[in-house]
Amino acid sequence: MADYCVEADGLTKNYGKVMAVDHVSFKVRNGEIFGFLGPNGAGKTTTIKMLTTLIRPTSGVASVLGFDVVSKGGRIRPRIGVVQQEPSFEMALSVEGNLDLYGFLWNVPKEERRNEIEVLLDKFGLKDARKIRPPELSMGQRRRLQVAREFMHDCELMFLDEPTTGLDPQARRITLDFVREKVRGGMTVFFTTHIMEEAEYICDRIAIINKGKIQAMDTIDNIKREFGGVSVIHLRVVDGKQALNHKLERLAGIERIVHPQTDDEPIKVYAKDADAVLSQIIDIITSSGLHVEELRIKEPSLEDVFVQMINGKGDAHNE
Amino acid sequence: MNSFLRLLYRDLKAGIWSTKSMIVMQLVTPLFYIFVAEFAYGAVIQTMTIGNRNIPYVLYLAPGIIVMQIMFAASIAGAMLWIDKRFAMFAQILIGPFSRWQYILSKVVSIMLQGLLNAFLVFIIASPLLAGLSVSPVGLVYIAGSLILGSLFFGCLTLAISVFIKSNEAFNAVLNVTFTPLMFLSSVYYPLQNAPLAIRIVSLANPLTYAADMLRAGLLGVYAPFLPLEIIALIIVSMAAFVVATVAFRRVKP
Repeated sequence: MADYCVEADGLTKNYGKVMAVDHVSFKVRNGEIFGFLGPNGAGKTTTIKMLTTLIRPTSGVASVLGFDVVSKGGRIRPRIGVVQQEPSFEMALSVEGNLDLYGFLWNVPKEERRNEIEVLLDKFGLKDARKIRPPELSMGQRRRLQVAREFMHDCELMFLDEPTTGLDPQARRITLDFVREKVRGGMTVFFTTHIMEEAEYICDRIAIINKGKIQAMDTIDNIKREFGGVSVIHLRVVDGKQALNHKLERLAGIERIVHPQTDDEPIKVYAKDADAVLSQIIDIITSSGLHVEELRIKEPSLEDVFVQMINGKGDAHNE
Repeated sequence: MNSFLRLLYRDLKAGIWSTKSMIVMQLVTPLFYIFVAEFAYGAVIQTMTIGNRNIPYVLYLAPGIIVMQIMFAASIAGAMLWIDKRFAMFAQILIGPFSRWQYILSKVVSIMLQGLLNAFLVFIIASPLLAGLSVSPVGLVYIAGSLILGSLFFGCLTLAISVFIKSNEAFNAVLNVTFTPLMFLSSVYYPLQNAPLAIRIVSLANPLTYAADMLRAGLLGVYAPFLPLEIIALIIVSMAAFVVATVAFRRVKP
């Protein structure tokens, strides 16, 4: 069995002069949750549409589960699942009817369908809504139904295109945990989102895409390390703040200092090499005999990195 | 179960069921025509001459109304495609273990079944008026051929129209503009042999005329002058409509 279930090389899609996806290359390992992160219109959904054989790439190649997406779509589709970003339902059928018919379309035996419906209604909190048709459901319920429906059938690779849109935090957590449970069972997940905390919670590796180009691709920790830029040192002392401030201003390697407005807030020292600045601060504190209430480095969040990258400070990484 | 049959089941359960109010409306109209024809037109126009046979006007009209019913039922095919596109089920199905070919075939067959069901219901309801008719085995072939080919032609026609028209409102408007002349410039309401030449020519190029004349031949045993040619033409245009719909359908973006 190959190590990778998705391999894209120079994958490109343009609509006239608009380059929706611009020569992206990446690989998704078997059994991982691969996050595809980007702002709206970055090219996430177009990439998914190409990988799921819905649209043809303008150029480049991609294989899914070892099969070419252009010439072997019929071999790919029975082995994947896709939760589209767009709401999609059988509007005339109830929640239960939607699940059952979808299972039927995937040739799931009746008894198995019946059991799976109960499991999914329970997991996704839809038991009370089982007889209700989609138009009468709340937005969150509809999204939960759409995600749950895709788990009516087995698949090796699941594409989830912003699956938690419209979900409250609890439903989001339940959905993400359910996905993780499925991955533990052997499924691979290709997951798009623009919610960074969600990516930090669930993804093994991520690629950040913007304007059709991949800006970075690695584990979240590595990306933060490589592209994180400026860290913040939080510092609070009991007294002697004025003298300390003068000394801090003279430190080497700092970007800027934000002084607190109230006594409860820390002094924030921004530095690229936070470790080096921190050791200088410790020297000042020790030599001045100050009593420290708080001293810590706050690493940049994935969101910080993402925003920095989307604002154009990151380099394209279309390997 | 075969992928095509699963899609067909879906169309019948989720697609046609969702348009059931439209189906009921479509049933009401032909029934209204038939009974009005019996009680109103029948008093004014007693008989119609086809070839060398005189038949009551209501009997003349009934097969035409049934064929027209098939034409209206076919508009559901386009509506089903619109519903699938609007609620992203079209893309969801194409991402699944199905081909476009299976998708369109399921639409065509489901609409044929719908047309046949509607025609059957009209037959049942109109049966008091049709009582006493005896249909020969050859007549049954004419009846089946007319209903199946008529469903195929009009189902594919509306599917092809739905591919090219960008909005549901425009789709309905185009269907109205298409269907109205087809209805009135055909042999549905009156025989063509005494019609003005221009109307005769246009009507003889109308597949609704072919299907109505074929059904009339099967049901009443009356034969339009060009019936063999009409049958051949109906077979050709039905096949052509299927090809056009299939090719056009490749243009639909998920």
